[in-house]
Amino acid sequence: MPGQPDSPLCVAVLVKQVPDSAEIKMDPRTGTLIREGVPAVMNPDDRLGLETALALKDSLGALVTALSMGPIQAVDVLSEALAMGADRGVLLSDRNFAGADTWATSFTLGRALERLMSQGPLDLVICGRQASDGDTAQIGPQVAEHLGWPQVTYVERLEVEGRELRAWRRLPGLVQKVLCPLPAVVTVLATPQAPRWPLVDRLLWACREAAPLEVWDAADIEAPAARTGLKGSLTRVVKTFSPKGQRVTQWLEGTAAEQSQALLAELRGHKLI
Amino acid sequence: MAPRSDPQKLLRQVMARFVREEVAPVARQVDESGRFPRELFVKLAQMHAFGLRYPVKNGGAGGNATLYCIMCEELAQGLLSLAAIAAKQCLMATNFLHRFADQEMRQRYFLPALRGELVGSFCLTEPEAGGDLGRVSTTAVKDGDGWVVSGMKTWITNAPVADFFTVLCQTDPEQGIRGLNFFFVPRGTPGVQVSPGFQTLGTRSTEISEVAFNDCRIPARFLLGQEGKGLGALLAILAEIRAMTAALALGLAKAAYQAGFQYAKERSAFGKTINQYQLIQSKIARLATDIWAAELMLYDTTAKIDAGQRPSKESMMVKYFATEVACRACDEATRILGAYGYSMEYPVQRYFRDARFLLYGGGTHEVLQTNIARELGF
Repeated sequence: MPGQPDSPLCVAVLVKQVPDSAEIKMDPRTGTLIREGVPAVMNPDDRLGLETALALKDSLGALVTALSMGPIQAVDVLSEALAMGADRGVLLSDRNFAGADTWATSFTLGRALERLMSQGPLDLVICGRQASDGDTAQIGPQVAEHLGWPQVTYVERLEVEGRELRAWRRLPGLVQKVLCPLPAVVTVLATPQAPRWPLVDRLLWACREAAPLEVWDAADIEAPAARTGLKGSLTRVVKTFSPKGQRVTQWLEGTAAEQSQALLAELRGHKLI
Repeated sequence: MAPRSDPQKLLRQVMARFVREEVAPVARQVDESGRFPRELFVKLAQMHAFGLRYPVKNGGAGGNATLYCIMCEELAQGLLSLAAIAAKQCLMATNFLHRFADQEMRQRYFLPALRGELVGSFCLTEPEAGGDLGRVSTTAVKDGDGWVVSGMKTWITNAPVADFFTVLCQTDPEQGIRGLNFFFVPRGTPGVQVSPGFQTLGTRSTEISEVAFNDCRIPARFLLGQEGKGLGALLAILAEIRAMTAALALGLAKAAYQAGFQYAKERSAFGKTINQYQLIQSKIARLATDIWAAELMLYDTTAKIDAGQRPSKESMMVKYFATEVACRACDEATRILGAYGYSMEYPVQRYFRDARFLLYGGGTHEVLQTNIARELGF
């Protein structure tokens, strides 16, 4: 039963497959991302989320489930999560989930987490701070709202003792230490240790038939089509483009003192000093 | 059943990221140090990389020659010496222990080697015997309940840091190559003497030296395999050794090609970037074609190995071809970079130096071409 002292801590980690930011380029003609030929990888912040969960597995014997929503190919990030040490992977994949904004995505993830809870205890949901292809940082907080659980965001260190977690939040110019009862949702932006590398033997195991990987569709999580994907989204991405900036070189003339004065005037004029 | 990931794609992706994040930032420093890259070696061991090609039941990952070559190829894109060291630990240094060691040796040497706690080395070449195994003069002579190993081995990769050696010895000179056998010799055995490391042109952090075996007495169980079957045991992995060398070459060729490709798109001359000049385009097009061909040859060969065949001719062909492609790619990359290719500030000079290492391991190209012709019935 959840919350019993002798039962292991059960953690779900949300992971997303994103285009490899090291490989991604903008098309200068159209201003859009060139996704063709760019390898898909695990979102870097989600790797931090997994590391946080796996550290709890190391110290407390937590059971870690990796959960992802995406096309069938997104099974790769779950295989990698298993290779890093996760115990189970669940992929939410259904044509109805396509084109979801953060609202519809967090609804879908929330329903999947509820299904996990119908199968066994769930004490903690860990997410990366944000996805590198969307940068919204909304999924964690919205999932917490969906579940009605407390949320702790921007966490760089996490400890769990009994039914309580201690989290260190990194905020601009300060670190805030908070206590929070479980169950809870946490978003992570750093870890004390660099995320562990996948193990080669577990990687090959994760690709075999016996690997603990499942695919759930809309029917499995009882998610109505009107609440998921494009239909369930409150927002639309109309256009993605690079902002156009242009450099203008201005030559300052005169003596060094005159040039300095002119430079100061320019900087003040642009409210830069 | 839920879909499963392609292990080849996933392994390649993980190793490429390992190279980008862990190897590339320190590659120059490691190369200049001329020292065994212990930290990277341990990191690979912690990823359980050295057991890649061994069965799960024996402490490995259950991979195969294709996966092994993918890993070698990716590592070679970051630092050839690290790739060569890892390749050796996965195959030549541990293969004979895996196949023939008793339980005690497995626990004491094989499994710690997979964990990166021990470094293994493979002693084949002698001052007067390289490709010509019939001239191996290191002997192992029966003496009571053990063997006495005597002789000199040279160009032994990892010897300065090795904890144990797998040594090719002649036990019956009258039998010629049929008298060849492999023996296990721990470094601490009285009579083992390792020379200081050689100064080499490339792969400078791969420490290489001579090893002298001065009447080294070892127990009977250190004979690896059945007496008289050493050559067969070597032939069983020879195609894989050559495919692995081709994989190292392919990785290096890709690294050099990428460096040239990227530079040509950024460097301007006479008012336009140099990738717009046909002579540069010709170099890039030819290299890309050669690299593709080498890749197809390599993974066709490893698929045959994984299917239980011994593609002797194909493995020689791909080792020969891929290495020539690597040498050409490194040469062309230094030309595309112009004087910057001559500067120690850029990795292209390292690729150029390192490429020469590949010409010798797995057979010189002069010997290989002769053997290929022979296999063709010429």
